[in-house]
Amino acid sequence: MEERKFICVSCPLGCGLNVTLDDNGEVVSVTGNNCPRGYAYAKSEVKDPRRVFASTVRVRNGKLPVCPIRSKTPAPKEKLFEIAEEVAKLEVIAPIKIGQVLIHNVCGTDVDIVASRDLSCCS
Amino acid sequence: MNNNIDVLIIGAGPAGVAAGIGAKQEGAENVVVLERDWDLGGILQQCIHPGFGLRTFREELTGPEYMHRFIQQAHDAGVEFRTNTMVFQIDKDKNSVWTMNKERGIECLNPKSIVLTMGCRERPLGAIRIPGTRPAGIYTAGTAQRFVNMEGYMPGKKAVILGSGDIGLIMARRMIWEGAEVEGVYEVMSWPGGLRRNIAQCLDDYGIPFHLKTTVTKIHGKDRLEGVTVAEVDDKMNPIKGTERFIECDTLLLAIGLIPENELSRMAGIEIHPVTGGPVVNDLLQTSNPKIFAAGNVVIVYDLVDNVSDEGLIAGKNAAKYALGKLSNKLKKIPVKGGENVRLYSPQFVTGESDTIIYMRVTHPIEGACKVVAEPGLFTQRLRYARPGEMNEVRLKAEQIQAKNPDEIIVDIKPL
Repeated sequence: MEERKFICVSCPLGCGLNVTLDDNGEVVSVTGNNCPRGYAYAKSEVKDPRRVFASTVRVRNGKLPVCPIRSKTPAPKEKLFEIAEEVAKLEVIAPIKIGQVLIHNVCGTDVDIVASRDLSCCS
Repeated sequence: MNNNIDVLIIGAGPAGVAAGIGAKQEGAENVVVLERDWDLGGILQQCIHPGFGLRTFREELTGPEYMHRFIQQAHDAGVEFRTNTMVFQIDKDKNSVWTMNKERGIECLNPKSIVLTMGCRERPLGAIRIPGTRPAGIYTAGTAQRFVNMEGYMPGKKAVILGSGDIGLIMARRMIWEGAEVEGVYEVMSWPGGLRRNIAQCLDDYGIPFHLKTTVTKIHGKDRLEGVTVAEVDDKMNPIKGTERFIECDTLLLAIGLIPENELSRMAGIEIHPVTGGPVVNDLLQTSNPKIFAAGNVVIVYDLVDNVSDEGLIAGKNAAKYALGKLSNKLKKIPVKGGENVRLYSPQFVTGESDTIIYMRVTHPIEGACKVVAEPGLFTQRLRYARPGEMNEVRLKAEQIQAKNPDEIIVDIKPL
C-alpha cells in the first residue's frame, strides 16, 4: 500500500486528493475530491499523467508574428518538452483558422497540435 | 447616426462582448462595442493556456478559443464592433462619449445607455517601492505574456517572479516551455495569491521553488537587470536581517495584483468604491449614474472569466432595458455590507428586482470548516475552507429579498 497526494487540476477548486495505491500501483481509493473528475484525475496521474500543451508557432505573412496553438487533447506529461521542441520548429503561413491541425500525431503521441485562434494576413 | 446608439459598450473583452449579447437579447436595436485594440477579445487574446470556460461550456478552453465562441454569438446577434477606437473622454453632465479612430476621426457619441467594461490593469513596479536601480528586464507578468504569446519576443533567459497571482504562475510555466529558467516565485504574504491548481500545474510540475513570506528587497544592474536580493519578511512584512540572498537573473516578472481600470469612470463622475477600486453598483450592475452600467474586472477583479461573462450579460440586458425605458427609476436601494472576515464584495446594493450573486473575498485564509452567510437569514452555505485567492459567493433570490425586505444585507464568512 502507498499513499500519494495530488492537487486536482481539473477545475479551479483545486481539491487536495489523497490517493491510496495497492502493491501493483492500482488506485484503491481517492479522498478529498468534490466530484468524479477528481477520481479520474487521480487515476490518470498515477498511471499516465497528461497535460494540455499550449504555446505559439511562428507565422509568415500574419497580422501577428506568432499564432497560439494547443494540443487538442492532453498529451503525456513526460513528452511535453519534446513536443515544445517540435512546435518551435514549425512556421505556418497566414491565414490560419481556429482548430486547424498544424501537426498530426505530434511526437508519436496520437495527439494533434491545433491553432487556437483565427489569424488573418498582414495586408 | 451617432446619436442613434441604444447601448454603447466600452471594451471588447469578455465582459463587453457578453454585454453586447445581453443588450441584443433584451431587444436593443443599435448596440455598439468600442475597442482600442485592432482585434476583439481583450486580455484573453494573450491567455493562450487552457482553463477557461469549464462552467460555461463544460470544457476547458484557451483564452482565444473562449472568446471566439462569444464573439461569434455577438456577431450572430447583430452587435456592431468598432475596433482601433479609443475612448478618451466621457462628459460628466451630458455623458457624451468621445472617441478617436483613424478613419472616423473624432466623434461624440450620445447613446441612451453606457456599459463600462474596461477590465483591469496590473499593479506596476512603482506601486511597491523596491530599492535599487531601474534597469531593463523588469515587466509585469501580463506584459511579458503579451510579448511571448502575441508579439513573439522572450523577455529574458533567467527569471525571478515576484508575487503569486495567477498570471505570474502561468508565466513561470510559459517561460520554462520556451526554454528559459525560472529561479523561483516569491510571495510576501503567507498565502498564495493564485489558485492552488496553478501552483500544482505551473510550479510543482517543473520543480519551480515557491517561497511564501519572502520578497524582493533590492534590484541590481545598470542597463540590464543583473540580479535581485530577496529576503524573508516578519509578520509586519518587514524584511528580516540576515535572510537576504542575492539571485542572479536578467528578468523580474511582477504578479502583484490587479486594479480595476476606471479612468473613464472617474471622468464620468460615477461613484468609485474605495476598497474594490471599481464603480459602486447594484445587482442590476447600474452605477451611481442610472444611465451608466459596469461589469467584469472594471467592477471587482474576478477569479474566473465565466463570472465576468455572466456579469457582462446582466449589465448588457439592464442597459438595454434602461435604453428602452423599461427600467424603473424608483428602484429599491438595500445596502450590502461586509462582515468582519470580508475584505471586499460586489454589488454594494440590491434592488430585489433580480436574483443576484454577491461576490466576495475573505481578509485572510480560514483553513477548516466555515460558512458563508447573508444576514438576516437570507443565505447560508458550508465551506471546507475560505481563501483570499478564491472568491466566495452568496446567491439570493429576488422573491426572498422582497419577502424579507431587509434594511441592509450583511455578508460574511464565519469559522465553524
